[in-house]
Amino acid sequence: MTAIDASDIIITLQVATLATLLSIVVGVPLAWVLARYRFRGRAIVEALTTLPLVLPPTVVGYYLLRALGRSSASGRFLEDDLGVRLVFTWQGAAIAAAILSMPLLIRTAQSAFEQVDPELEQVAATLGRSRVSVFFSITLPLAMRGVAAGIALAFARAAGEFGATMMVAGNIPGKTRTLPIAIYDAVQAGDIARANATALLLVGISLACLLLFSWTTLLFRRTP
Amino acid sequence: MSAREPAADSGDAPLDVDVRAQRRFREFQLDVAFSAGDDTAVLFGPSGGGKTLTLKAIAGLVRLDAGRIAVGPRVLYDSERRIDVPLRSRRVGYVPQGYALFPHLTVAENIAFGLRGSGREARDAAVAEMLRLTELEGLERRRPRQLSGGQQQRVALARALACRPDILLLDEPFSALDTAIRAELRDAIVSLRESRGIPVLVVTHDLADAFSLGNRIVVIEGGRVLQQGSREDVFYRPASRRVAHLVGTRNILSMTVSGFSDGVVDLDWAGRPIAAAIYPTHAAPPLARGQRVEACVRSTQVMIRRPGDTYEARRNVLMGRIAQEIMGAEVYRLFVSVAGSDAPHDLEIELPAYTYFRLGLDRSKQIEMSIRPEAVHIIHEQREPAAAAR
Repeated sequence: MTAIDASDIIITLQVATLATLLSIVVGVPLAWVLARYRFRGRAIVEALTTLPLVLPPTVVGYYLLRALGRSSASGRFLEDDLGVRLVFTWQGAAIAAAILSMPLLIRTAQSAFEQVDPELEQVAATLGRSRVSVFFSITLPLAMRGVAAGIALAFARAAGEFGATMMVAGNIPGKTRTLPIAIYDAVQAGDIARANATALLLVGISLACLLLFSWTTLLFRRTP
Repeated sequence: MSAREPAADSGDAPLDVDVRAQRRFREFQLDVAFSAGDDTAVLFGPSGGGKTLTLKAIAGLVRLDAGRIAVGPRVLYDSERRIDVPLRSRRVGYVPQGYALFPHLTVAENIAFGLRGSGREARDAAVAEMLRLTELEGLERRRPRQLSGGQQQRVALARALACRPDILLLDEPFSALDTAIRAELRDAIVSLRESRGIPVLVVTHDLADAFSLGNRIVVIEGGRVLQQGSREDVFYRPASRRVAHLVGTRNILSMTVSGFSDGVVDLDWAGRPIAAAIYPTHAAPPLARGQRVEACVRSTQVMIRRPGDTYEARRNVLMGRIAQEIMGAEVYRLFVSVAGSDAPHDLEIELPAYTYFRLGLDRSKQIEMSIRPEAVHIIHEQREPAAAAR
């Protein structure tokens, strides 16, 4: 197992963790809005949040590269005015992974929120609770199984992201190289032992995510 | 919201409920106006008539186009003055039809849900008090699905009352419960109301529940109030044919005004004289001789006399024959064909089973009936309200 670079593992976990956090912050509120409100353009928002699931990751990566890189106004604004450089960094890779894994979280969380009886939220509000308080005391606990499942899926997806990460962050060992890219490198270099070990490790990470998911399911089983 | 004595709430400032609510939907229009006092009022009517919608509007769960909602001195909504108190500040105890207990919380946590902000000790004391009032002691650590229907209903009541609302709104509180528990809970609601001294609005489509719960009854159908008044007024003196039907009046009879004598209106029912008492309290347009009217007689108000009975003034005496009988668990319903009539039956009579047997009734015999003039109510209907057409 010495063949695997420790930095590849660390970067992979960093990217996946940051991507999952970004997915939660953006995706959970979005899922709640999509589950609870009927508004003009809702179908478009729903389609846009699903799109990364069906697009080739390289397409997402390409647009992200254009948006974050110096070739676009937004990229120049990021670099020159805010001093934020995202292209060819692991943070950039995390953004790419977040966009690609968020649909899994949004879809799962949305259907979990839809399962929560709105009448429970209404009654909670008549008992003097604010909308935010109702969300955290009623909606989220009752939807937690679905939300947790979505988070586990999003993490697994982010840890295994290859195409978009490659486009945005490149393949810089010790800086942006993640395990999926390391497999590609190993195969290119003919180092089958390293490829095998890396692939096995990724299978392990994904399996762990899914086991964690069924464990949280058990944890939240008390909800109906 | 400190731990006030329950008694301090009642008495000095009666909380009157005043509701005017208008909302236009694509296929339904709500336009109700009613008032209720410091006690239990029932919103009664068939399903889909707008009762629940009205209740939700008071709670703030349904947006209105126009109207005014006031509970005592507090105005919760007033479209003209642009007042619309957000639902979490309305201080309304709302119990929906399915109770909507929080399934992931224990009984105690459910009851304490509205008590955030008050200190832990005050909260525990309030929960303990509610557990005692609703006789749920010992169940505080259970979860809702581990409770019976009646217990769930009591948890919902306790949760609503724990944060000391200004009004309690109950939507079909007994619909999911069996008969024995219904009666028990009706008593519980009455005593809880008395301990709190707040107005209670109950939505029901059940006649028996409406009658036993409401001192005041508001009949709602088709998004409109058809009649409101005391229980006796609505049940015994319905304002329209439709209300008479809704409150279970089985005998709505077409008659003609033939004259007036001491305290009664003389009516002619297909050649048979019928006297109807005049209620001085009941404002009604004057009747003219020869006018066609409809008279209501509740099926429990027709007495069957034993031959030779003399204890009652012989007024509104009718002869007839039982055309059909339906045996219920406690009451018997008789469909009687009055002598000289060719209709299949003219009167429906309800009487306790024991009376049926004591009188030795059966379909072969001629029976003699009488109706007190006070039990004959003339409907003073200007014209059929549009809603009744539905």
